[in-house]
Amino acid sequence: MAKSLGDVIIDIEKCKGCELCIDSCPQETLALAPRINQKGYHYAVKVQDNCTGCLNCALVCPEAIISVYRKIVK
Amino acid sequence: MGEIKLMKGNEALSEALIRAGCDGYFGYPITPQSEVIEYLSREANARTGMVVLQAESEVASINMVYGAAGTGRRVCTTSSSPGISLMQEGISYIASAELPCLVVNIVRGGPGLGTIQPSQADYFQATKGGGHGDYHMIVLAPYNVQEMVDHVKLGFELGEKYRTPVMILGDGALGQMMEKVELFEQMPRKTEFPDWATTGKKEGIHRSIITSLFIQPEVMEQVNLRLQAKYREIEKNEVLYQTINCEDADYIFTGFGLGSRIAMKAMEMAREKGHKVGLIRPITVYPFPYDIYKEFAGKVKGILDIEMNAGQMVEDVRLAVEGKTQVEFYGRMGGMIAGPDEVYEYFEEKFLGGK
Repeated sequence: MAKSLGDVIIDIEKCKGCELCIDSCPQETLALAPRINQKGYHYAVKVQDNCTGCLNCALVCPEAIISVYRKIVK
Repeated sequence: MGEIKLMKGNEALSEALIRAGCDGYFGYPITPQSEVIEYLSREANARTGMVVLQAESEVASINMVYGAAGTGRRVCTTSSSPGISLMQEGISYIASAELPCLVVNIVRGGPGLGTIQPSQADYFQATKGGGHGDYHMIVLAPYNVQEMVDHVKLGFELGEKYRTPVMILGDGALGQMMEKVELFEQMPRKTEFPDWATTGKKEGIHRSIITSLFIQPEVMEQVNLRLQAKYREIEKNEVLYQTINCEDADYIFTGFGLGSRIAMKAMEMAREKGHKVGLIRPITVYPFPYDIYKEFAGKVKGILDIEMNAGQMVEDVRLAVEGKTQVEFYGRMGGMIAGPDEVYEYFEEKFLGGK
């Protein structure tokens, strides 16, 4: 299996659990956490280490709280 | 053309409060409307000198609103369902004392402490009184972020025109969603206050007294008669609604707030499949637009009401149509949102006898 090339960091305190990033992820990297943040929402978290850095989640996030890091392999 | 921004519902509403020249905000944070007090405490005071205060509870905040409204200022509080329940006593006092104020309810799923997801289950509480005594609030139901902004201005104007509390009945989704909004220009804060305001007894001026306690029943009855006359006046003059594609419609979808947005999409799906469906969306849910439903009751084959509760506005729709047409209801509860496809399927099942 190919090694992960991307990583995603979510500002969980600003997440409102709308699940758009989860639906948009082709790799099923993200899911809602069983825990809640300070406002009471279940927030999105990375559950698998298979992110490709495709950026879909960051582009679709209405709160703009997802940062995606991508490793360039030569 | 005003300034155009991409804003979250709660923040757009807060910005509108500042721009409407609001003098005071008293509130207590509760998901899903915490962004209102967060935004206001960051922005408001520096820009217009507006007072923004976090009270120790919802009960305290509505009583602060009562006091500040008594001075003739533009005041507002916001909360979500459980908090609004706590405020009911204060709202009843404000209605009885005939003071204008704005109360925003960003409804979440109930009953009880419920969930923090969007719901419309506070329709009865908002439109039928809510607290004790024979009173009503004018209730505005926005369906997008733009109306969250517009209704702030409209709400203050209506409240001051009729000296009555006004409620904006939003929901968790409207509070949290981000959309394009056109903001109105900054309005100056009031410098002149009405005759009844308690601004201090000066030489040659009458004493203004604000109270909701009238021990003698004869006096209390007169207050009630005055209030009822005012409500009839509001019901006559201030009804707002929107109709879409109703001219040639065989069936009508209806709903208020977010429910009407789901209905709108379901209507488009039905139109694509060749069914003539129209939509009626009440903008004021008190006063309720009974007449428009009555008008279409004789013309259409059926009305489907879509709400995010167990069927509350549908009772008013049934009252309005007087049994002249079939009225069906589709709703999800407790914070779940119906999809347009399930609404359309329900429509097919109930009105077209399945596929």
